[in-house]
Amino acid sequence: MDFFLLLISTGLVSGAAYGLIAMGFALIYKATGVVNFAHGELVMLTAYISFSLASAFDLSFFPLMALTIPISMAIGLALERIFIRPMLGEPIFAIVMVTVGLAVILRGVTIMIWGPDPFNATAGLPTGVIEIGSIPFYPAQLYMIGALAVMTLLAWLFLRFSRLGIAMRAVAANETAALLVGISVSRIHAFAWMFSSAIASVAGVLFAANFKLAPDLWFQGLKSFPAVILGGMDSVIGAALAGLIIGVVENLFQGYVGQGLREISGFIVIIIVLMVRPYGLFGSREIERV
Amino acid sequence: MRTGHYKESLGQLVALTDSPTVKAWSIGLVVVLLAAPFAIGNYGLTLMVSALIAVIGAVGLNMLTGTTGLISLGQAGFLAVGAYTNAILLADFGWPVWLSLPAAGIAAAIVSIIVGIPSLRLKGLYLAITTLAFAFIINHIILYAEWLTHGPNGVFVTGATLFDIDLQKGKPLYYLTLGITILTILAALNISRTRIGRAWMAIRDHDIAARVMGIDLVRYKLLAFMCSSFIVGIAGALISLQIRFVNIDVFALILSIEALAIIILGGLGSIAGAVLGAVFLSFLPEAIRLFFTAFVDPNSTFYTSYVFEIRGVVYGVVIVVFLRFVPDGLIGLWRNVRKYWSNWPLAY
Repeated sequence: MDFFLLLISTGLVSGAAYGLIAMGFALIYKATGVVNFAHGELVMLTAYISFSLASAFDLSFFPLMALTIPISMAIGLALERIFIRPMLGEPIFAIVMVTVGLAVILRGVTIMIWGPDPFNATAGLPTGVIEIGSIPFYPAQLYMIGALAVMTLLAWLFLRFSRLGIAMRAVAANETAALLVGISVSRIHAFAWMFSSAIASVAGVLFAANFKLAPDLWFQGLKSFPAVILGGMDSVIGAALAGLIIGVVENLFQGYVGQGLREISGFIVIIIVLMVRPYGLFGSREIERV
Repeated sequence: MRTGHYKESLGQLVALTDSPTVKAWSIGLVVVLLAAPFAIGNYGLTLMVSALIAVIGAVGLNMLTGTTGLISLGQAGFLAVGAYTNAILLADFGWPVWLSLPAAGIAAAIVSIIVGIPSLRLKGLYLAITTLAFAFIINHIILYAEWLTHGPNGVFVTGATLFDIDLQKGKPLYYLTLGITILTILAALNISRTRIGRAWMAIRDHDIAARVMGIDLVRYKLLAFMCSSFIVGIAGALISLQIRFVNIDVFALILSIEALAIIILGGLGSIAGAVLGAVFLSFLPEAIRLFFTAFVDPNSTFYTSYVFEIRGVVYGVVIVVFLRFVPDGLIGLWRNVRKYWSNWPLAY
């Protein structure tokens, strides 16, 4: 039983990371209709930036985030301006391929700046073990789950009640109609990129604090795809929940089915979900029968 | 200036080209390629072989992504299947190379059916993600099926001899690759003119309209997957012959992205474009090296330790710049130049 609980708890932690990263994907997809293949690289870049900030100023967690999030938003905005905005009106395929190109550029540049060796990033978090019930947790793990909860709540409030969030949903529903009622679609796209980068930075910092800060961090972006698909590509809240599910499923696969299955169980889930329910658990259903 | 096309017989209609200039240049190119090994050294020959393999792979991917419009991020997976099939059949089972090469293609084609089946319900981005997932699963299976693939140890490719000629060395490998390249290009050109090729293009342009016109989407999409993967599998087998040692690290995700970069750079949906793009991108790392030799110290630690990152960044920049400024690719540039040339001094 303890083994099972341990699998569930660590699964929830890595699932929270997937959920946070997947939320960023879903936000951009919802607002702009583009799958941002560079999102994992954004997570990695912001994590490295916060690592440099933390080691330069010796900050604790919350001041560090207060510094990192605006910087990541600026990066997201800059990337949108330089790479995505000029492609407005081009076919979706072309824009998605631009993000693929952007991904390899960001990855290369990050590794060139910070080098290929891994770092130990604590992100200013305490490292003592906390026991809840009989299960030991690191503070970083609890922060990760907490961050997912906070971000999900914020995203829900934002999309539900704020003027900008409602405009974003309008753009997602119908871009042309949104333009007609006076919403600046390009501004919404820029905001989507900014918020997505902000979530990416939270995910990146906490992931680095939980595991380590290494140049293969970008891979978490691809590993979060199962969560994005399971949640439904355009559902931000669904992505968060699906992240947790995928994290637990991965751990259970690893624990009970076979060693090494952890790496691909998520991708097996993707394929099953896509065959059975391509719009995911919470995604909007596009009816088009061919 | 040509004023029009006058075709009076079936033979003229189905000919690959009606232009004597194109014929003359194509023959000239083949002659130059046949003579090339005698003029360039071993290093040049290795580069040429890599470029030709890239051409084969690009033509294969173009069939799926360019012609049929199914985006695949799983090329590395198909290449791995081809390379491993070839390597294992040659080294562990002692098959002759003339059997193991087609077998590599067939293995990749069979695997592609498994990937293709989910694709029947999916389009665009969803398909891209599925193929990506598939590439990871393939890599994983190869890594863990040690009884067959030697797992992380990799396979040494030996025994590729035909009529006592070692096909893994210099000139024989070059001629083998050249022959397969020419066959692939001819096959691709011919398929694109048949019912199958036209059906693929119809699916790319509008799948619902294609279905209404009586094109069996299931069949033609699967066929596109199979034909494309067969070619890519053979490209993988040739890679295994060239590098002599197959390891899962060779088939990383960057390879899939490189493949897409090639066909975007060349011009989507055009076979000539795929060829141009493949040649261009294959010589790009060499160009980067020459650039560093000319302007920066090639032995600097920055270059030696980040050679893959530099290459990745250049690929990324190439993809972004071409999509932004030259969406029709190299072949589009070429068409514009040609039009300008033959119509001058008229505007069009």
